[in-house]
Amino acid sequence: MLNQLTSPLYQKLVSEFEGSGNYVNGDLSALRKDAFELFKSKGFPTQRDEEWKFTNLTPFLTQDYGFQQTELTEDHLREAVQNALIPDLDAYTLVLLNGKIQAGLSVLPDAGQVTVDALDKITGTAIYNEYVTLGESDKNAMLALNTAMFKDGYFFEVKKGVVLDKPVQVISIFTADDHAIFQPRNLVIVNEFANAELIETSVVLHEANHLFVNSVSTMVVKENAQLVQYKIQNNETSERLLSYNQIFQSQNSRYDNFTFCLPGAELIRNNLHVVLNGTATETHLMGLYLVGDHQLTDNHTAIHHKFPHCESNEVYKGVLLNNGKAVFNGKVFVERAAQKTNAFQQNNNLLLSDKAQVFAKPQLEIFADDVKCSHGCTVGQFDPESLFYLRSRGISEASSRKLLVEAFMFDVTEKISNEALKQYVQNLIYSKMENSFISIA
Amino acid sequence: MLSIRNLHANIEGKEILKGINLEVNAGEVHAIMGPNGSGKSSLASVLAGRENYEVTEGEVWLDGKNLLDMKPEERAREGVFLAFQYPVEIPGVSNINFLRTALSEIRTHRNLPALTAKEFLKMTKEKQELVEFEAKLANRSLNQGFSGGEKKRNEVFQLAMLDPKVSILDETDSGLDIDALRIVSNGINKLRSPDNAFVLITHYQRLLEYIVPDFVHVLYNGQIVRSGTKELALELEEKGYDWLKEIHNSESIKG
Repeated sequence: MLNQLTSPLYQKLVSEFEGSGNYVNGDLSALRKDAFELFKSKGFPTQRDEEWKFTNLTPFLTQDYGFQQTELTEDHLREAVQNALIPDLDAYTLVLLNGKIQAGLSVLPDAGQVTVDALDKITGTAIYNEYVTLGESDKNAMLALNTAMFKDGYFFEVKKGVVLDKPVQVISIFTADDHAIFQPRNLVIVNEFANAELIETSVVLHEANHLFVNSVSTMVVKENAQLVQYKIQNNETSERLLSYNQIFQSQNSRYDNFTFCLPGAELIRNNLHVVLNGTATETHLMGLYLVGDHQLTDNHTAIHHKFPHCESNEVYKGVLLNNGKAVFNGKVFVERAAQKTNAFQQNNNLLLSDKAQVFAKPQLEIFADDVKCSHGCTVGQFDPESLFYLRSRGISEASSRKLLVEAFMFDVTEKISNEALKQYVQNLIYSKMENSFISIA
Repeated sequence: MLSIRNLHANIEGKEILKGINLEVNAGEVHAIMGPNGSGKSSLASVLAGRENYEVTEGEVWLDGKNLLDMKPEERAREGVFLAFQYPVEIPGVSNINFLRTALSEIRTHRNLPALTAKEFLKMTKEKQELVEFEAKLANRSLNQGFSGGEKKRNEVFQLAMLDPKVSILDETDSGLDIDALRIVSNGINKLRSPDNAFVLITHYQRLLEYIVPDFVHVLYNGQIVRSGTKELALELEEKGYDWLKEIHNSESIKG
């Protein structure tokens, strides 16, 4: 087995960080240095680490990832954006190329409503110092690596009391001439009484190259504010996606997260951490993961209940095809002070092949005594009686399976309130799964 | 139309059907009665193609085509319809989407033009009225939240929509109150035509007061032990099944 210390990527990261002088200058020097030391001491996560027990990163570290990036012609970019737009969706757009904002291609809300800027433009400001490093105590090696070395990313702030009339589609375009690593870092702040909806999508050009994306996003939902975040991971085989998403909710705020992992990337690892820093908050985490042949999709979620009267609701559903493998770990922490907490978690998995695997681990740690918490987890196959019922009405086996998968995912898809987006996600699911259905029928 | 010849079938290695012979012609209604465990529902399942049954001997022909060679969906497209004894609830599959998919696959197979959305809705409305099935279908999952009676009526409604040649009704009367039984029976009577046929599987003579059969068969121990006209059902109601069991058992010993 490859030792990570000898992995070309690790060596490259060390010489880039210590040799290039790009990271240890300016306001962030101390922070970056500490973070890099942490990364160095821990190294890339291995399966000896409980958090990575079923997700082996090693095979994905062997490519010779570089730091080079490619610029695109305006026409190329424009075309990529056109292809990424969600049909019939009335939305603003924020276009990023390798993490850099493309203002000319973006259609943003009025400057009186939002502030959108490159993250490095706000370094050293009070907001930056307060929020960018939130949650660093986590000691997560990949988070530390991002903190040490992130270059580009966006800052998106919705001003106090602003209710955006349309969702914002964030289109992240990645491209490189060779195998490359990207580490974007984003910060979203939804101020008091404001209301926003973000739809994150991504596009990869030059897909023959392997891309290792280790992204970190911090989102702050202030008092009485609302944020809905959709993450649509519809990627290419050549992508390795690691995302670390941390959310800080204040009193009376609401945060909804929808994560859709579609068959495509060989590796997806999502960390979603929600910290409830106030009373009477509401949180909904809805996830769907469809895992294709020889793919690994890992969703780690954690909700930290720290104050009384908060409500969290989590539903993650997985459909596994062929040799697909999925990991689900859902943590709910209810601290002693968090009385009257309502926390609900559900994880269901549908295995469509004998070879598919799922590792599910619901994990509730409750230290308060007056709470309602529940969790449920299932792993199963198609109900033969339902399948027979549909077929006995003339519906082919392939269509019947499709209907049953649709039914299985319904709990999650029905919660998408935007019709155009719902349609888009459903179509993606079917088109991505079509071939798989034919192959198993 | 439907021709069953010396049909034997096993489930989990146990022989359930032991040589069934039955001819059903277009325009006919056949009732199959018999005590619990005689094989009535198994016969329905085998005809519809339920996979856990293994046919060990015999043939089933539908208008000259070998039914046993077909998958369940092919049988349905050729014109076999099974009204389930226990219709399945499928949360997340909408009634409308289900019907539209079924109808479109069946129409394609029968070389009929696809229906427009408008035509489909019109047809749905007409057939719902025909079988007096008032349940709201839009935005509801298949059979979900339906009462026992509504589920059975939904089966008859689907029958009306899919227009099969041979309909097998597996204890469609069970669990229905008198009013529902009358409504279901009325629906079926309206759907009877010289071109289609019905096989009613039932425990009770009660259903046959509403849907008058041309033939009544008694199934016992995997075989049809007696066939007759509707008077046979009345005789069974009066005497029970025991006299037939006795005759059959003594004949078996003699044989």
